[in-house]
Amino acid sequence: MIPLKYNIRSLRVRWATTLLTSLAIGVVVFASVLTFGMIDGIEHALRMSGDQEDLIVMRQGADSEMTSNVQPTVARELVNLQGVATSEDGSPMASREFITILLNPRRNGAGTTNVILRGLDPVGRQLRPHFKIVEGRDIEAGVNEAITTRAIAERFENLGLGESFLVNNVSFTVVGLFEADGSSAESEVWTDLRDLTTAQRYEGAISVVNLRVPDEEDRREIVDRVRGDEQFKLKVVPEVEFFEGQKSSTIAIKVVAYLIAGFLTIGAMFASANTMYAAVSSRGREIGTLRAVGFPRRAILMSFLLESLVLCLLGGVLGCLGTLPLNGLSGGTQNLVTFSEITFSFRFGPAVLLQGMTLALAMGLIGGILPAIRAIRLEITNALRER
Amino acid sequence: MTAPNHANGPVVLVQDVCKEYRRNDMVLTVLHHMNLELAAGDFMALMGPSGSGKSTLLNLIAGLDVPTSGHIQVCGEDLSTASQSTLARWRARHVGFIFQMYNLIPVLTAYENVELPLTLTPLNRRQRKAQVQTALDIVGLADRMDHFPRQLSGGQEQRVSIARAIATDPTLIVADEPTGDLDTASSTEILDLMKRLNEDFGKTIVMVTHDPRAAAYAKRTLHLEDGRLVGDTDVANAETIA
Repeated sequence: MIPLKYNIRSLRVRWATTLLTSLAIGVVVFASVLTFGMIDGIEHALRMSGDQEDLIVMRQGADSEMTSNVQPTVARELVNLQGVATSEDGSPMASREFITILLNPRRNGAGTTNVILRGLDPVGRQLRPHFKIVEGRDIEAGVNEAITTRAIAERFENLGLGESFLVNNVSFTVVGLFEADGSSAESEVWTDLRDLTTAQRYEGAISVVNLRVPDEEDRREIVDRVRGDEQFKLKVVPEVEFFEGQKSSTIAIKVVAYLIAGFLTIGAMFASANTMYAAVSSRGREIGTLRAVGFPRRAILMSFLLESLVLCLLGGVLGCLGTLPLNGLSGGTQNLVTFSEITFSFRFGPAVLLQGMTLALAMGLIGGILPAIRAIRLEITNALRER
Repeated sequence: MTAPNHANGPVVLVQDVCKEYRRNDMVLTVLHHMNLELAAGDFMALMGPSGSGKSTLLNLIAGLDVPTSGHIQVCGEDLSTASQSTLARWRARHVGFIFQMYNLIPVLTAYENVELPLTLTPLNRRQRKAQVQTALDIVGLADRMDHFPRQLSGGQEQRVSIARAIATDPTLIVADEPTGDLDTASSTEILDLMKRLNEDFGKTIVMVTHDPRAAAYAKRTLHLEDGRLVGDTDVANAETIA
């Protein structure tokens, strides 16, 4: 095998070409990793939202929380079902929630968009993963207060800490900012259930009921009971399943992202192939010499493929490094199931970076194979005569 | 460095060899029914005008190319029918190459250039190091082993190239115009070194040259014209054939 230092030093000697090609590959990897990081961020938000022990009860036929409604009397019955966990103060871990849409302008003047506005029982906080107030304070019931997250506060007019927004001409004031482990709850504005339904003039209305049922057997019983009850006309969806279903909103983004990444990769393959073709043509005599002293064709093939791989992996590393400062940066897109804003944080974890490096690897292998084949097809006697 | 082990027969045996090149419908015959024998420990110069076929003959003897017809046996291997991979293995074991333009790998140091053919052998790093140092000692460049080719003069580069050619202790050394790119003083150094390899280390050498002064170092000189052997001078035995 031809020593790898031969390839590394050859790349270093042609440093300007190496750098430019690596940068081109790096830009492609950067763009792809950015897209993969966004998809992972959105999926993470939806994945984190579901708890194994939680059930969502909604109207039969409702495909989202917003199109669901549950009768108040039924909701009361649900809250007291056998198996529902109790909180420290002895109240059931069940949250009645009313969900509506707040049409709100973005801060950057990029038009208005839907934001989910959720009215919920105080216990609802405990049903969200790692809920905590990070700035300001939690809401008090009866005085039209609201809380939201930093991402939403930064992205939307009227939703910053201390700012007010209108619901049916009733003013709500944002008094606190919360975090919920990057879950989809972080894309919402929360207020007290009764305050919201009163403002909306739907007093007593409930969209869904969230139940925490720690025991699997109890969960199964509740599902069977609610499904089998003709009077309820409700369905029970495990929370994990519910948010899994919302992942379909990322499919379109995913398809487009992978298509773009694919096309960019093909483009970058031409860049690496071009560089490697230039390398092979300028090193004909070296190739001839290596063959003359006894290196077999496969050693030459491997050597040039490795060189192409090193070139592309260098670009891959540059591209991945470029994304790291953006790790955790928040963005927003539309959830195609709820048609409302979902905020997410870019996540460049090992899996996403590995995807980027795999693209770089593919560029190196596919872009390097034809030049490497050209190298081994050179006649030794002709190659030795090259300048 | 050891003495050659082909005492029982010729190192090079060329029998009725023709070499043709085809370009479109044209057939160009470069070598016509060539016959040749070269004994172990011989030093042969191949001379002739450009296009006479001397480099082609050298390439065939070195296993870089195969004849269109006829047989070539070198160091016991029939090269006329050998596959590319067999030829590559055979070259690594039996042949050392010296080129007119030295053909050192510019990004490798003198040491690494000399070590290159040794990486094809089963020797470990320590054994390779010993071989490289011996080879560089013989050519008088042990103190330049960390230099890159661009840091060496033409004569020094050619000496590194000779060290590379002898590092694997091959039976046969082929040299294509080894002094063609050197000044007189460097040429003399190189030719003296080659003579020493032949006389002291028993290497069989085939050298293509245009330079009669270089040819004078050889024990035997073959003259080619239009792909045919027109003269064979055995200096050692002061005998001219043809």
